Formats: sequence, structure tokens, C-alpha cells
Amino acid sequence: MIEIRDLRKSFDGRTDILKDINITIKKGEIVAILGSSGTGKSTLLRCLNYLTKPTNGSIRIGTTSIDAKKHTKKDIMELRSHSAMVFQNYNLFKNKTAMENIIEALICINKKSKKDAQRIGLQLLEKVGMLDRKDFYPSKLSGGQQQRIGIARALAVEPEVLLFDEPTSALDPELVGEVLSTIQKVAQEGATMVLVTHEIMFARKIATRILFMAEGTIVADGTPEEILDFPKDERLKRFLDYNVN
Amino acid sequence: MFDLSYFFGVFPVIASKLQVTLSLTLTAAIFSIVIGVIIAVIGYYKICFLYPITRFYLSILRGTPLVAQLYFFYYGLARVSEIVLNMKPLTAVALVLSLNTGAFMSESIRGGLLSVDSGQKEAAAMLGMSELQTIKRIVLPQAFRVSLPSLFNDLINLLKATSLAFMLGVRDIMGQAKSEGAQSFRYFEIYLAVMIIYWILVLGFSHFHKIMDRKCMDMY
Repeated sequence: MIEIRDLRKSFDGRTDILKDINITIKKGEIVAILGSSGTGKSTLLRCLNYLTKPTNGSIRIGTTSIDAKKHTKKDIMELRSHSAMVFQNYNLFKNKTAMENIIEALICINKKSKKDAQRIGLQLLEKVGMLDRKDFYPSKLSGGQQQRIGIARALAVEPEVLLFDEPTSALDPELVGEVLSTIQKVAQEGATMVLVTHEIMFARKIATRILFMAEGTIVADGTPEEILDFPKDERLKRFLDYNVN
Repeated sequence: MFDLSYFFGVFPVIASKLQVTLSLTLTAAIFSIVIGVIIAVIGYYKICFLYPITRFYLSILRGTPLVAQLYFFYYGLARVSEIVLNMKPLTAVALVLSLNTGAFMSESIRGGLLSVDSGQKEAAAMLGMSELQTIKRIVLPQAFRVSLPSLFNDLINLLKATSLAFMLGVRDIMGQAKSEGAQSFRYFEIYLAVMIIYWILVLGFSHFHKIMDRKCMDMY
């Protein structure tokens, strides 16, 4: 489903944020990316839909392959059509209601009629438990509610891959649960997901595979048990000591 | 001294030109918003060769007096352009006012555009929306709301600036007052009436602004 080859990213041309990343992710895998802040987790995720343009390397999602050195705007659009992202800060459209946020892409991109789009919108609102807030603007919703709308908006385009960029990091602790259970619900439906998170317990619960990043490279790659219960890498051991105990 | 009955007599005569002033304001306002949005978007995206042109345009229009622009356009350009020579004064004033106010409005709108956080644009991009769709459906509506106070400021300045139309011989409120004054020399009554009319108009605009502002606040 996803194939990343020799991916490198440097923002200033001197220091590499990502160094020679090679990963293959199969359909239906739920991959959690762990690591300390500043190790390139979010950058890697954002390269997958070219919100951050890599410096080198190629990315393939589904049927679209794109090379950092030579690509067109159309290639980027095509790459993005295979995935959808849930952001740390929700990034909902502030001038649109919960419902309008969800169906925006359906109307704009998929050219669905308003009626069809709203029918899909209602199903998604129900799935994330937000039916009673459908006409609320984001400013009138809590962080957890906004993020659930963010998830519904991502699901609306029926992406082959769902990308989560620290979806609970901006939330108050008491609101984390509702968002995590929504993500879990989506995971159980067999979606392919890549999830950057700090919630190690959650990663253990839903991920089928965990990548641990340090200094711009993937230093450990395995099942949750391999990574969390029998860590081999020194940096991973230190990370887990600090974050779990 | 103050002739009350003359005042009440001349007031409706001057106010009868309200329609000229208002339609001039409205026409110029519509064109200036269009110009303002286009220039603001060019400035926002810094579109390669158009950007320096718009900066030059802004610099000229904001850096010279409106009266000078009116005279330069209507009397100056008439010497070299057949079109301007045959232009009605009212059209010329509307055109210059649109170009002038458009320059000011573009900066008001650009400020609003910059206030929309980049996260929303990333969300639109990730969904596969084009830049045009994003600016039209997400960025501009929010930018307008933020720009509303300064746009109304520009609008009020525009309304008052239409009073310069009399310099090209247009009979608006100011033009009518001038010609009344030339006959009766009762400048005190006449220009008091002019002041009051413009003042009431501006109060009306401000009230309209307040209503719109409240409506926006209720929304999101």
C-alpha cells in the first residue's frame, strides 16, 4: 500500500531531519510511529501527502508514485487523493459547521450533490458520535469534539490510508479518551493507518506494528510486543523507561 | 444672520442629489472591492510578474492626492486618449474612485487573508482542494470578516471622497451646493446642510456595519 524509498528531508540544506528512510506498509496495517520530540515523526508523516516536500527519495501510495526530484502539481494532487490526514490542531474550517466541514471535500472534489453529501455526512457524524452537534461551528465545540469532526472529515473522502498526526497532543487529558476510542473504532473497520502519537498504551492496543524513530531514522521496527516488551535498541529502552515507568 | 427658512428651503434642493452621491459611492464600492480582492490575492500568493505591478499601482494610488489623480486622469489623459476625452465626468470620477479605493481596500483585505491560519489551508490541501477552491471557500470568507472594520472605514472615506466629483462638474450633493451658493451667497446655510447630509449618511453606514458585525459574531 505504501512504499517509501530513500526518503531524505532537510529544511535548511545542512541538517537532515529525515535520513534515508525505507519502509513498506501493507494494506490493513496499523502503524504507530513513536519517538521523542524532534525526531522527525511528523515530518515523515507529512511527507506522505507532500504537505512537507521531501528533499530526496520516492513515495508510493496505492497506484501513485512520486519522486522528490521530479514531479508536477498534478502528481501531488494524485498522491493526496489516496490519503487523508487528522491534524494535531484539528485544523477545521472555522467558517463551516461540523456538517459542512465533513462534506466540503465531497462537494468540492467528488462533485457530489448536496443531498448525497449530507446523507454521507450524517452517517459519519453518527459514527463519531456528533450527530447532535452537526450545525455547530468549530468555535462552539470542545477540542475533543473538534477532533472527532476532524476524523469524520478525513473519513469522508474514503481514503486508502488514514494519517494521524499526534491527534490527541493538543487535548486536555479528560478529552483524550473520546478521541482515542473514535480512532479505535475506525481501526477495527480494517483501515490502513499511520499514526504518530505519544500515547504508548494506545499504540500497544491498536497498532499492528510500531516504528521507533530517533535522530531522523527508524531505529526499531516490529510488532508492539517486540518493540514495547523486548526492546533491543538502547535509545528505545531509554525512551520507554522514561515514558512508561 | 442664520436664515432658518432659507436653510429649510435649500436643504431638500441639495438633498435631492443624494441619489447621485449614493449611486456613485455604490458603483465605486463594488468595483473597488473587486479590484481590492484581486490585488490582495495577488499579493497574498506573491504571483510572480503580477506582484511587482500591483505594488507599483498601490504605491502610485496611495502616494498621490486623489484630487491630483482626478485631474491627471480627466484633464491630463484626455490630451492623449480619445476614450478619456469622450468620457462623461461621472464615469471618470467613478473610475478614479474605484482605482483609488480599490488600492486601499486591497491592503485591508490582505490583512484579513494573512489572519487565516495556515493549518486550514493544509487541511484543504490534504483533502485535495485546489488553491482557487481554498481561497474562495475557506480563506476569503474568513478574511472578509476580519477585514470588515477597515473595509467600512474605506467605504466611509469613499463616500466622502465622492464630494470631489463637483471638481469635474458633476452635480452631486457638493456640486448642487456649490451652484446654490453661487446664486445666493448663503454659504453658511448651504454648507451646514451639506455637512449634515454627509454626516447622516456616514452614521447610516456605521449602523449597517454594526448590524453586519453582530451577525458575523453570532455565526462563528
